[in-house]
Formats: sequence, C-alpha cells, structure tokens
Amino acid sequence: MTATGAIPATAPTGPSGAAQRHRVALHGVTHVYAGRGGDVLALDHVDLVIEPGEFVSVVGPSGCGKSTLLGLIAGFHRPTRGRVTLGDEEIRGPGPDRGVVFQQPNLYPWMSVRENVALGPRLRHVRRAQRRAIADRLLALVGLAEFADHATYELSGGMQQRCQIARALANDPEILLMDEPFGALDALTRERMQDELLTIWRDAGQTVLFITHSVEEALYLGTRVLVMSPRPGRIVLDQPVPFPPHERDRALREHPEFVALRARIGRELGLA
Amino acid sequence: MVEITGNAPVPVPATRARRRLRLPDGAALRVALRLLSLAVVVAIWWIVAALDVWPDLFVPSPADVWDRFVESVTVHDGRVGLSDAYLWEHLGASLWRIGNGLFFAILFGVPLGLLLATVRPFQVIAEPYVNFVRALPPLAYFSLLIIWFGIEDTSKIWLLFLASFPPIALSVVSGVRGIPQTRLDAARALGAGRLQLLRHVVVPSVLPEFFTGLRLAIGFAWTTIVAAETVDGLPGIGGLAWSTKKFQQTDVAVLCIIVIGLAAILLDQLVKAVERLVVPWRGRA
Repeated sequence: MTATGAIPATAPTGPSGAAQRHRVALHGVTHVYAGRGGDVLALDHVDLVIEPGEFVSVVGPSGCGKSTLLGLIAGFHRPTRGRVTLGDEEIRGPGPDRGVVFQQPNLYPWMSVRENVALGPRLRHVRRAQRRAIADRLLALVGLAEFADHATYELSGGMQQRCQIARALANDPEILLMDEPFGALDALTRERMQDELLTIWRDAGQTVLFITHSVEEALYLGTRVLVMSPRPGRIVLDQPVPFPPHERDRALREHPEFVALRARIGRELGLA
Repeated sequence: MVEITGNAPVPVPATRARRRLRLPDGAALRVALRLLSLAVVVAIWWIVAALDVWPDLFVPSPADVWDRFVESVTVHDGRVGLSDAYLWEHLGASLWRIGNGLFFAILFGVPLGLLLATVRPFQVIAEPYVNFVRALPPLAYFSLLIIWFGIEDTSKIWLLFLASFPPIALSVVSGVRGIPQTRLDAARALGAGRLQLLRHVVVPSVLPEFFTGLRLAIGFAWTTIVAAETVDGLPGIGGLAWSTKKFQQTDVAVLCIIVIGLAAILLDQLVKAVERLVVPWRGRA
C-alpha cells in the first residue's frame, strides 16, 4: 500500500484496522540547528515510539522543539544524532507515507479545492478518474463536497484547514503529522474542528501526531499526551489518556478526571 | 468584475465581491475627472502657445501638433505620412522591435531567474553579472551591438532584450525567495520531487512577481526604444522623434511623445488585464 509496505513491523491495530500500519520511532534523537546566535540544541536525546492507531498530542512552551520533532518525522530535517524510523526503515526525507498539516492552510490558489486534494495522487501519477474519486470521497468526509470546484481563497479559515486535512489524507499516509492545525482559528470553529478531527481519525484510522499549545485540546483529542520541556526539548511527561474515543464530547471537558489530568499536565508545564 | 464561482453558494467573500462590483460608479467619476484634467492641461497649453511668450519653435501649439497628426495618417503633397511612413507604421515598427526584445527577455529571463534562485553556486557566480547589465545605460553598449549585429533590427532587438531581461530575471528571483517554506514543505510531504515542486508550486507561485517584473521590463523597453532607433530607426516612433532635431520639428516631437506615452499606458493596461486572467488569486491568497 505504501513505500514501506513489505516490512512486517508491528501489528496493525488502528481503530478501523484499515491498512497495514507501522510504528514510528525516534531512537536517541538529538537535533541541533544553526541559529543566528550560534548552534541551537532543539532536541536533546529523545526516545519515542508511536504505535499504529495512536493519537499522540504534544504540548510544550514555544520553542521547545515540538515542531522540530514533527519535522524530523516528516523528513524535512535529518537528525544530528540518532535515528528516526517508520517500521524498519529509516526516514531520509519527506514522503507520501507521512501526511503533514500545517497551521497555515498552504493551499495552492491556482488549483481548485478538488485539485488541491487530488495533488498527492497526481504527483504519484494516479490516473485522473481515480484521483478524482479519491478527492471527492475525502471532500465528503471533511464536509466540503459542495465546494469541490471553488477557488481555495473563497473558503473560510476553518474550511481551508479541512481542505488541507483532506489533501494530507489523499495519499492514505501511515501517520498524520499536525502542527498546531487549529491554532489560527477562532474558539468556536476550533471546537467544531476538534470534533470533526476525532470523527475523521475514527473513520480513516490514521495514526496522528498532534502538536498544540492548548493543554485542553491535547487532552481532548489524544489517546496519549506528551509534555515537552523548554529548550533543549525533552519529553518530561508521557501521559496516557483513558477516555475512549467515542466518549469525547462537550461533557468530557467537565469530567472530574479530565479536569484532574488537565491540572496535572498544567503543573508539569508550569514546572518545566 | 465577473462572478468567478459557479452555482454553489459562496461562503465568505460575498461582501468583498459586492464591494468590487460597486466600483463602476467610482470608475465613471474617475474617468470624468481625468477627462476634465486633460481638458484643463490642453487649455493651458493652448493659452501659453497663443500668448507667444516663447517662439513657436519652443512651444508648438496644440493646433500645430494636431496638423502634424493629420499629416501623419494621410497622403499630403504626394507624400505619405511623416518621414515616408504613416504614424501606425512608425508605431507598429517600434512595437514589433519591443515585442521581439521582450519575447527573448522572457525566454531567457525566466529560466535565468529560476536558476539564480534555486541553484546556490550559480547565483553566487551569475548574479553580479545580471546586476552589472541592469545598471548599465543601454546607450553605453549600443555601439558594440551595432558593430556586432549591424544597423538593422537585430542590434535594436538585442538592445531592447538586454535592457528588459534583468527586471524579469530579478523579479522571478524575488518571487521564488518569497515562497513560504511551509508552502514548499506541504508539496514535498505530498511526495513532490524537485521537478514536480518546480512545476506545481514554484512556477505558479512566482507568476504575480513575474508580471510585476514584466511591466517593469516593458517600461525599460519603452525608455530604450528611442535610443535603439537613433540609428537607422525609420520607420519607428522613436526614430521619428529623434529625426525631428535635424529640422527642428518640435511639433512632430510633441506628437511622438504623446503617441509613445499613450501606447505605453495602453500596453501596460493590456498586461494588467492578462495578469488578472492568469493570476486571479493575486492579493487574495
């Protein structure tokens, strides 16, 4: 199905078990980049395993290396030390087996909404009719079916983000890497998008790595929350979230256990 | 402006579209104001010429210029137009040279700009030369071109090409450098290789800046055309303007100035219209 298809890594345990998925792992990863005032240690010896089907949220203060972590898995950077792997294969660059959703929609205004979503399959030389079918299915999934032929700049911010998510899903990636995707949206749209993302995650069965500033968002969405320390970034807390996916609704945010976990993570961030 | 979308409901930009559609009132007012100001300018010119403060040679009257215009589009005393060609033939010859110069400037300037912006060693080596050529006044190298390519159109087109490719190349460079990294990363994460990235993301991203550069280049081409037509430039509107110094035909000179100015404005408007067609997202995404 994907580039690393032949390797029998871990068990395919996504919520829907749709496709063979592989675990993502960071082995002793240290990342240094050249900043204006000299070298910056962004990540310091991080070990992390993300199992197929997990929804892993990452919270941490600004500049703690969250985005660097995501960029390493996406393949935008190579780690200074250590290895990043998908299944048994080392990640050496960006690829269609890992979808990325940015805070900015990054849609291409010279393409219609549908053409944007179909871009991944097009780059892989999928035939026109087939990639159109893929795009239309995903546009329906994210609720944009009737806007398929619109220009991207005619969509609202929330709709543009849904379009970007559909575009990232069009390659049927093993993992969806989301870098503060709802950070630029208003509070109401943001809550709606969170619920829609949970629906999409349950339906599509992708593994998700989700970066956010919001403890509440991290907890509401994730099956697991990672807390990172300020630079140099380390994972200081790896908190499983016990709520089953189908019980995540407005009421959950008031649940005593949710409130207690939120306080615990908040403390960790405050101390960190 | 035409409605861009189909039948489906438009989500957000309804207010924006309405605001744009309301422009015609403003546009009509603008046209009226411009006509009025034009009338005032011509009237002042007329009065100054009529007062005979300066000799006619220095300030030809609007009537003289109009007479030359009529001569330029008719046969008079058995002679055709001005300097043996109709006005449109002069203008057409110049436009043909400019068109050729720009054609080669785009053909050469766009790939050059893409190379400069994407291949670091090439940029280090080549960019100083582009800036060097850009800084030169075209007349400085015109005599070389005439010696190399003769006095006919080839040397003129070379001159126009050399004057107009740097702004095109440099606008492409600045367009490529202005592409946000995440816009490129998004395509790379979708599986785009180097060439696919160039074709699907870089080139379309650069289009708005390219048009800005093209309009600058056309401006340079117009400023260069008189220089290009100082040698064997007839027919040619620049050549016609240059030829007036011999017999002190200031009325013809003024006519040429007006024609060149109007043609330049029209061409610029045409390019802007093409830009709106090709880059409908400019300023909106």
